[in-house]
Amino acid sequence: MLIWVAALHCEAKPVIDYYRLRKQPADAFDVYRGDDMALVVSGVGKLASAAACAWMAADQREQAVLAWLNLGIAGAAAQEIGEAFLLNQVIDADSGERYYPVPATRAYFPGSACRTLGKPDYDYRDDGLFDMEASGFMQSTLYFSSAELVQCVKLVSDNRRRQDTPSRQQVSALLHARIDDIARQAEALASLAEAQASLEPALESWQRLLSLAHFTQTQQSRLRVVWRYLHNRGIDTEPVLRNLAAGADASAIIDGLEAIGHRDSEGL
Amino acid sequence: MPGCIYIESALRDHPRARRLLDRFDDLPVVEIERYGEVFNRRAQNFRLQKSNPALIVAHKSGRRVLEAPEGYGLGGDHNYYFSHMLNCVYDCRYCFLQGMYQSAHQVVFVNYEDFGAEIERTANEHGNEPVWFYSGYDCDSLASDPLTRFTEYFVPLIANLDNAWLELRTKSTQVRALLKQPPVERVVTAFSFSDAVSHARLEHGVPAIPRRIDAMRRLLDAGWPVGLRFDPVVYHRDYRAAFVELLEQVFAAIDAARLHSVSLGSFRLTRGHFRRVSRLYPDEPLFAQPLVLDKGIVGYAREREKEMIEFCESELLRHVPADSYHPCEWHG
Repeated sequence: MLIWVAALHCEAKPVIDYYRLRKQPADAFDVYRGDDMALVVSGVGKLASAAACAWMAADQREQAVLAWLNLGIAGAAAQEIGEAFLLNQVIDADSGERYYPVPATRAYFPGSACRTLGKPDYDYRDDGLFDMEASGFMQSTLYFSSAELVQCVKLVSDNRRRQDTPSRQQVSALLHARIDDIARQAEALASLAEAQASLEPALESWQRLLSLAHFTQTQQSRLRVVWRYLHNRGIDTEPVLRNLAAGADASAIIDGLEAIGHRDSEGL
Repeated sequence: MPGCIYIESALRDHPRARRLLDRFDDLPVVEIERYGEVFNRRAQNFRLQKSNPALIVAHKSGRRVLEAPEGYGLGGDHNYYFSHMLNCVYDCRYCFLQGMYQSAHQVVFVNYEDFGAEIERTANEHGNEPVWFYSGYDCDSLASDPLTRFTEYFVPLIANLDNAWLELRTKSTQVRALLKQPPVERVVTAFSFSDAVSHARLEHGVPAIPRRIDAMRRLLDAGWPVGLRFDPVVYHRDYRAAFVELLEQVFAAIDAARLHSVSLGSFRLTRGHFRRVSRLYPDEPLFAQPLVLDKGIVGYAREREKEMIEFCESELLRHVPADSYHPCEWHG
């Protein structure tokens, strides 16, 4: 499951259009959904971004793995307007805290550091980018996902030479111009999340298994290990469960499944 | 090739760091304060990172030479290890390094002179008694040698300390830098091998067995002491035939009488490492085998281990003299 996080509707619009995301009923944040992805419009600022991420994580808590992409505009000292960057360092200007999104997929954009400011600032004094959300986004999402599944793509909207605040239409146009690469970056991230999620058996199959007998917590731990293994090896457990289900106790079920695992593992 | 380079800001002008940056001048470089802020962070997934690890160029502070864990080594009285790198370029499923650190990034410590001073001090503390230093605990000693020039610095250092011995433990074929130097009788390059089935299924990225045998032969021919480590021996349906075939391959190319030492040990991990690694790789048959916990170590049950070691030992001793053989026993 991929979750896009954008501060403004005009930043979200190119993604909504590209994936034809559907608006959800009004709630604390504006949310749009598509196949295996969602987009939340957080509002401006790191606190708003962190809150929106936490809200989405709670909403999606049954997902085994969440990937996150913060998409938005940024100011820059020297970089050209419209240039896009994949952040490799995010610095919170207020606290000094630094975050490092981990480059675990192919990068479709050059890397850059970004300083997240608490309020707008037009000094353009640093070499890197500056925005108002990335550090809040990083701080929040790292509670729910590993750093390889958390990325930020920022497009330069203003720089030392052109300091005007861009209009909403201009922001959408800037992002729209790079939407194919943005989508490729997002899909690489989503694939990574999907591969990770595929290691977990479906919740329904796990619940069905638990309903077959009374498992203590210790037994559930053993059962989970062998169940994950058999799921990942694509082993058909139906015949075993059918044979065991009639009056089998928890130990017999675990022993039966472990025996299958042991036989399978002998070939490495 | 690493995905990007993190470098501690203070090392920007360090000659070894500069060489590493020049080598990868097309990679993104991110400046950091201390390597721990990237390497030791929470919320990292080793498995995901391993597909595209970064290189971290760092300074090692604190203690750099540590006492080797019990059972590590070849029976000497004084055993130490040091790590100029953390993590390995290879991806062996049985290796404890998968569960050792939060991160799969490779850390290279460039302050070799500090390591050297501590090795010298440690060797001197033991007078004339032999002191073993192991460099292949947290990394493969030679796999990154063309990049780190590790042997270029540390081999002459050991050669100049009369009571110091160095074991370079490796699965690589990177022996070119050693072959450029005169052999040192107290520097032993120990090559680890598992049979062909285990190699194909578990040793991802490791050079093929024949290429490693050839690297070993070239070192022996040049007069370098060479060791053999059949560790870990992994159980599988055909392990007997595969082990016999491995021995035949090795000893068809190598004169066993010229080997410094040979050791043998079955697959085992500490409880903590096993727990972390098996969670990372729930699809791995190695971890679904019938394993037991004994004295804090997860490995094969006594009977299976005994059967495996006795078989491998008897086959091994057909080729190597008993006095160069060192078993690794963990059941006690």
